Formats: sequence, C-alpha cells, structure tokens
Amino acid sequence: MTEITALDLSGAHPPATAGQSLFRVREISNNVEARPVSIVSETPVRRNPSPSKIYYFWLMAPAVILLLCISIYPFVWLIVMSLMDVGIADQHWNNFENYIRLAKDARYLSGWVLLLKYSALCMFFQLVIGVFLAIAVNNSRFEKFLITAFLMPMMIAPVVAGLVWYFLYNGTFGWYHWIFQSVGLLGSKSILADPATAMWGIVIVDVWQWTPLITLITLAGLKRVPRDQLEANMVDGASPFRNFVSVTLPNLYPVLLIAIMLRFMDNFRFIDHILVLTGGGPGDATKILPIYLFEVSFKFFKLGRGAAIAFTLLVVTIILGKLLVRIFDQAPASRAHSEEN
Amino acid sequence: MASRDIVAYETPWTKVFHVFSAIFVAAYLVWTLLPIFIMFVSSFKDLLAAFQLPAIGDWSGVGVFFDFTPTLKHYQSLFTDNNFKVYMLNSLTAAAGSAVVSVVLGAMAAYSLSRIDFRGKNDLFFGIISTRMAPVVAVMVPLYSIFRSLDLVGTLTGLILAYTTFNLPFAIWMLKGFFDNVPYAIEEAQMVDGATRFQAFRSILPLVAPGIGAFVVLCILFAWNDFLFAAIIGSGGAKTLPVATRELVQPQNIQWGSIMAAGVVTAAPMMLLGLVIRRYMVAGLTMGAVKE
Repeated sequence: MTEITALDLSGAHPPATAGQSLFRVREISNNVEARPVSIVSETPVRRNPSPSKIYYFWLMAPAVILLLCISIYPFVWLIVMSLMDVGIADQHWNNFENYIRLAKDARYLSGWVLLLKYSALCMFFQLVIGVFLAIAVNNSRFEKFLITAFLMPMMIAPVVAGLVWYFLYNGTFGWYHWIFQSVGLLGSKSILADPATAMWGIVIVDVWQWTPLITLITLAGLKRVPRDQLEANMVDGASPFRNFVSVTLPNLYPVLLIAIMLRFMDNFRFIDHILVLTGGGPGDATKILPIYLFEVSFKFFKLGRGAAIAFTLLVVTIILGKLLVRIFDQAPASRAHSEEN
Repeated sequence: MASRDIVAYETPWTKVFHVFSAIFVAAYLVWTLLPIFIMFVSSFKDLLAAFQLPAIGDWSGVGVFFDFTPTLKHYQSLFTDNNFKVYMLNSLTAAAGSAVVSVVLGAMAAYSLSRIDFRGKNDLFFGIISTRMAPVVAVMVPLYSIFRSLDLVGTLTGLILAYTTFNLPFAIWMLKGFFDNVPYAIEEAQMVDGATRFQAFRSILPLVAPGIGAFVVLCILFAWNDFLFAAIIGSGGAKTLPVATRELVQPQNIQWGSIMAAGVVTAAPMMLLGLVIRRYMVAGLTMGAVKE
C-alpha cells in the first residue's frame, strides 16, 4: 500500500478516488507497458469567454432598424398601395383592379418588350466592344493611361451625359447629327425624332457611358488567366487565336457572367438619360417599363397603379438578383485560382 | 503583368490583329472623349458660336468648331443669375450626409456580420443587398408616398434618407468583404491585452481604412450623380446640381452654353474623385464580385 500512495502524484485526490488510482496502478503493474497518469483535467478551462452573439447583434441593430424603416416598410407599403386606389387625400381598397388593368394595358406589356429589347441591344454592343477593347488594351504600353481615359464617361452624371448627347444629336446644330448626315446614315430628322431610330439613340448613349465597365471587368479577368495553361497550350502548337478560344475565354466566363448580370440590372435601374433624351417618345418608341412607371406615378400621380407596376418590376429584379448572388458565390473559385500565380 | 513573359509567336495574322486593335483603340478613345471634349469647349462658347456647323458632307470645314473667342459668362451666370452655389451645397450635403450615415452604420453591421454566424444569415444578407439592386423608380413610389405624409419631401433630410436606402446595403455588402480579410486573431490579441470588445473593433479600423475611404467616395459619387431621387423627393427645397442642370432646358429657349457649363460643374468634381479611387472602381461598381 505504501508504494501506491507514493505514485499518487497529485496528492489532492479525495479519499473517494483513492480506489480508482489504486486500480490503475495495479493495471500498470500488470501490463509491461507503463503509462503515465494524466493529471490534467479533460476539458481545458476556457480562458476567453465565448464570443457573445448579443454584442454583435447590438452592433448590427442600428443598420438593421434603419433598413427596416427605409426599405422593408416601404416594400410592404408598396404591396398595400398596389391593392388600393391612392388619391391625394384618401385611399381605398379596389379589389385587385390595379393588377387586372395591367393585364389589359398595352403600354405596360409593350414596356416589358421594349425594356428587354433595350437591354439586349445595349448588352450586345457593350459586350462585343468592351471585351475586344480589353483584349486590345491588355498589356499595352499605355494601359494605365487608356483605362483612365475610358473611365471618364462612367463618372459623369447620367443626366448630364443625356444632356450632352441631346445637344450632339440636335437636328440643327448637333455635331453628331452632322456626322450622321455627312456619312449618309440619317436624313434631316434627328435620330431622336424618328420612332424608327430613337431606340438606337438611347442605346448609343448607354453604350458610350457603360462599355468601359465591361472593359474594366474583362481586363481584371484577363489578368488572372493562368499563365501555365496558356504556355502549355502554346507549346503544344496552338495558334494565338486557338489559345484565346480554348484557354482565355473559358477562364473569362465567370467574370463575363457577372458583367452581364450587372449591366442587365442597371438597365432596369437607371433611366435618367432616357428621361432627358426622349422621355419615352417619340410616340411610345422608347417607353421602356421604368419610364412608363415614372410617367404613371409622377406625371399622372396614379400611385396605386404605379405601385402595381413597380411591384411586378421588383419581383423580376429580385429573381434576377437571386441569380446574381448565386453567380457571386461561385466567383471565388476563379479568384483563388489567380492567387497561385 | 502576368502574361508578359510568354513568348509570343509573330505570325502575319497576329501582326494584322495588332494593327487592327491599335486602330480600334484609337478610334474608341476619340469616340469616348469627344462628347466630353465638346461639352467642355461648348461651355466657353458664345450662343451663336455654339450653333455653327459646316455644310453637310464638308469634312474640311470641321475647323469651325474652334472658331470662337472663349468666354466665361456662362459660368458667371450660373452663379449669379442662378443659385448654383446653393445647389452645389445641397448636392454636397446630401451626398456626404448619406455617405457618412451609410458608412458608420454599415461598418458596424458589416463587422458583426463578418464575425458571427447565425441561422438565416444568408437570407438577411440577400435581403440587404436586394434593396441595392432594385430599380430606383420602383423604390421611389412607396418612398414618395411615405415621405409625403411625413413632410420629408423637398428637404435635405428626406434626400439623405432616400440615398441611404441604396448606400447602406451597398456599404454593408462591400465593407463585409474588407472585414473578412482581417483575421479575428488581431482582435483576440487586443482583448487578451485587456481591450474591451469595442476597443478591439476600433483597433482594426485602421486596417480597413483605405477600403472605407474609397467607399465613402463611391457613395458620394452615386448620390451626387443621382437624378431621379433628387427630382422627385428633393423637388422644391432640396434642388441638387443634376436637377438644376436639367431645369436649364426649357422648351422655347435652350441655353446651351449655360447647360454645358452646368454639366462641367456637375461632372468635373466626380471625374477628379474617380481618378483618386481608380483602384477601387472595379470592385465598387461590381459590388465586390470582381477585384482588380
């Protein structure tokens, strides 16, 4: 017994555990292999208190509350408004009439068609010009200077851009109209005055202002095309063109997808330059849905009907946004790729 | 300069491509800068000089464009006949006010979103960012109705709040990316040394300061350039530069010189700011999905 107590190193064991240590010692003497008895308790004491979530929630609270007031509450109010007849002083329930009228509203439906057409046209030209520009500029001697110059249109307020182009398009003293006429593209009618060409007029302005964004995004994507893949392909005898198609383009794909989604949603969002240039006219030639919404709500002050249009527009945007976020989530894969270089 | 070391094989086709792309870039440069240049020059032209054009097809007559004596009277009239000083101040107050509110609240929210996990976090996050992506007109319909009943239409407070609906979600989204890059170990070390949680939070702010600084500029840029909110919610008492510029267009008598001068006044500060934050531009405009 005496040697057993000597092995009981801690000496702090209460009598109740004495039997346990006795048992262990006996086990050790039975086994040839002797193991030291652990005297550290199994779960370490937490030195730091676990990060309390409450604290972080408090830090988050002001922003969340403000957002509740200025974006969630208005959204709920939008739905309520869309179900009512909203006048200056009073508002009353009108039995889904706003929505029923939308289905029969030719301008509403053509608004969607025009919006899609406008977006598609803008996107096509921006993508073709923007991507080619990025490839042409990439690694050129003047890259920094060129990019800075390209950035300029994006910094200008869309309204100011619209006004400048309104001036350039003017049928009697606009320089661009003069160029169009001299080349023989147009007659004496300004591009904005003819329903057949007005859509092109606003597309040109959007392309002028936002193509640089596509270029910048593509350029960022080009910088992280893995060099080893390009080299390996070249060693195997691929032509530069083949190299572009089979290595660069697939690597560019996720970035381009982001660019497309962003521009698509921005075409829904920003109508400033269209308001200035044509205001939806001539006739209804450029009355894309947001313009129509603007007219209904803030020209005729039919806020109830406006709310119904706004709600449908919002639903579509939210679906698009969900898609965009999913694409964002996949993007880091390509980002991690570049860090190896 | 990742791909510069690659041996490029010169074939006749690549030579053609290089020449073609050089011409394309030059043409694009002209196309992108020409409207800005015309705006700038026209703002110094007298009314009659601005109307001068060569005959159609007469390409040699382009020199008419430079045939004028520069005058500053449009700029002077903006600030004497029009209240552009006030509008400028309105623009600045609204833009800076919303930027400050968004960044202060946004930094706190982004920091905590970056540090903890909880159920429904992704949904909350999506909800936050979707307000940023909504069409401006659609958001404005209920906002206008609410602000009208609160007497906020036509006040700078209303305008600041309206801009915050967009800038705050944007701030949370972007700043979270910045905070995600700061390891938690730094705050832990601070707290072991006896700092409180809030002091630890403050201690990592200098690490994200460049991002926050660039971000404030981006918020200012968006708010300054906005037209729709300013035209509807700011109408009356809080007229900003874009709205004032737009109002110079009158059906009968379009003062092109003044309009171009107002355009320069509105656009020039933002073009300069854009140069300052060039490095963050791509990340900012793509909501952080693409980094340069």
